[in-house]
Amino acid sequence: MSKVVDYLRSLGLKELEIRQPRRYMFEVSPDRLRDVISGVIKVSPQTYVSAISGVDYINEGVIEVNYCLWVIEDKVMVVFRVRVPRDSPKVPTIYDLIPGALNSELEAYDLVGVVFEGNDKLRRGFLAPPEIVSQNVFPLRKDFKV
Amino acid sequence: MSLIEVPVGPQHPALHEPIMLRVRADGEKVVDVQVVNGYNHRGAEKLGERNTWIKNIFLYSRVCGICNTVHAQTYTQGVEFIGGIEVPPRAQYLRTLIMELERIHSHMLICAVMAEVVGFDSLFMLIMRDREPVMMLKELVTGNRVLSDYYTLGGVRRDVDEVKKDKILKVLERVEERVKYYKKVFLEDFTINKRLRDVGIIKPSDAVRHSLVGPTLRGSGVKSDVRRDDPYAAYGEIPFNVITYDGCDSLSRMLVRLDETLESIEMVRYILKHLPQGPIAPKTPIRVIPKGEAFSRVEAPRGELFYHIVSLGGDKPYRVKVRTPSFHNIINGVIAYKDANIADVPVILTSVDPCVSCTERVLVIDEASGRSKVLRLKDLSRGLR
Repeated sequence: MSKVVDYLRSLGLKELEIRQPRRYMFEVSPDRLRDVISGVIKVSPQTYVSAISGVDYINEGVIEVNYCLWVIEDKVMVVFRVRVPRDSPKVPTIYDLIPGALNSELEAYDLVGVVFEGNDKLRRGFLAPPEIVSQNVFPLRKDFKV
Repeated sequence: MSLIEVPVGPQHPALHEPIMLRVRADGEKVVDVQVVNGYNHRGAEKLGERNTWIKNIFLYSRVCGICNTVHAQTYTQGVEFIGGIEVPPRAQYLRTLIMELERIHSHMLICAVMAEVVGFDSLFMLIMRDREPVMMLKELVTGNRVLSDYYTLGGVRRDVDEVKKDKILKVLERVEERVKYYKKVFLEDFTINKRLRDVGIIKPSDAVRHSLVGPTLRGSGVKSDVRRDDPYAAYGEIPFNVITYDGCDSLSRMLVRLDETLESIEMVRYILKHLPQGPIAPKTPIRVIPKGEAFSRVEAPRGELFYHIVSLGGDKPYRVKVRTPSFHNIINGVIAYKDANIADVPVILTSVDPCVSCTERVLVIDEASGRSKVLRLKDLSRGLR
């Protein structure tokens, strides 16, 4: 069994159902995110950020930020799901805890508009072309029409 | 001494996609490197939301030319998981076969590019010559030498027969002999060792903290391979070794690839010997996928490829998030350049097997005088003489 998953269960986080093998998903509030991720790194230092995936649920008025971490030692993927309001999608940065999260945070900010508070390197135009940036829109949101 | 900025790009000295490395150097020593990207963001994720599930297989194959089957694999296995679609064992083996053939030619390509970057042009040509038969094998199996479009939901689109099997085995005999020779060259050649050994050091802890993946991670001695740790397709049934080297330098990363090529050849032999009988695809195409989501991972030649696919039901995905291995290796791999020589920048960049393109010139600006000078790629590779 995975040490990291045991640790996360001991924190009393809400575990979400996921049928895929070797995947565990937990719902985390933005204010607990940094503590949870610091704890995971302490339990298993060989953990990297596989991706940060932002999904815009426009009908619910929510943006979902999925932090997908691969734990090399335990051979499991833990996904932390953070749901933030669409009009103010703010989550704390984890770039100082895991430097490898930098590019994923820049991408999620540039394309989905998730603000990673505390990340001083956030900028528009990381991937989006200038004509998109000048309109101040986020192309992977559902109200952006092509 | 004044700092010199060397913008390498927006086309860069390795493969074919546009990116810029803004190198700041104190004399010959690199102080820091800033990656400027976004020149060619094609919006494949947004486009995928408008396409049908089946059409997207062809779209995501085109995210990368060299490793197109792994993109198709990651996407289809995610969709198949959401839809509960069973893939016949023969199709799983054939998928694994084509992904390993792709790994062989991809690794040979970057070894050739590395030979060119260090100034060993004849080795570049020889490796490219010996890579071509592998491309022919890919054409033999899939019908196309580069973009194979081999996948469909629930299976593959072409079968292999005994004649094709014999041809693959025959060609791989020659390829194996050549790759063993190239490994010897990389290990023993004086110039290659001078250019690659102890260049672009990435410590194991840094490699993990900076989320590096694939041969770049394994070249720092970290044993992590999606094929072993999170098996997909037929990898759970095929014996193979996960290759690691402890040198943490550019040479180790290349040796990982050369050894993996030899492993892949063995895997192809095993697959052809143990290929199960049976159908290769469902009789009717699958068009509608139920609600659900998948976090799909595959070991591409460059490292872990990741797709997050969300379905709300229907014939189109709600969201497809694509994260390629080079996205981590190029942008977070800038730690490898610190304190390197300017002449080593192309070597280090090539050693992470970047999926980006090259141009024939760079611009050198002396910050103190404001003078600028245009250099060609060859000048940069030869150390800004």
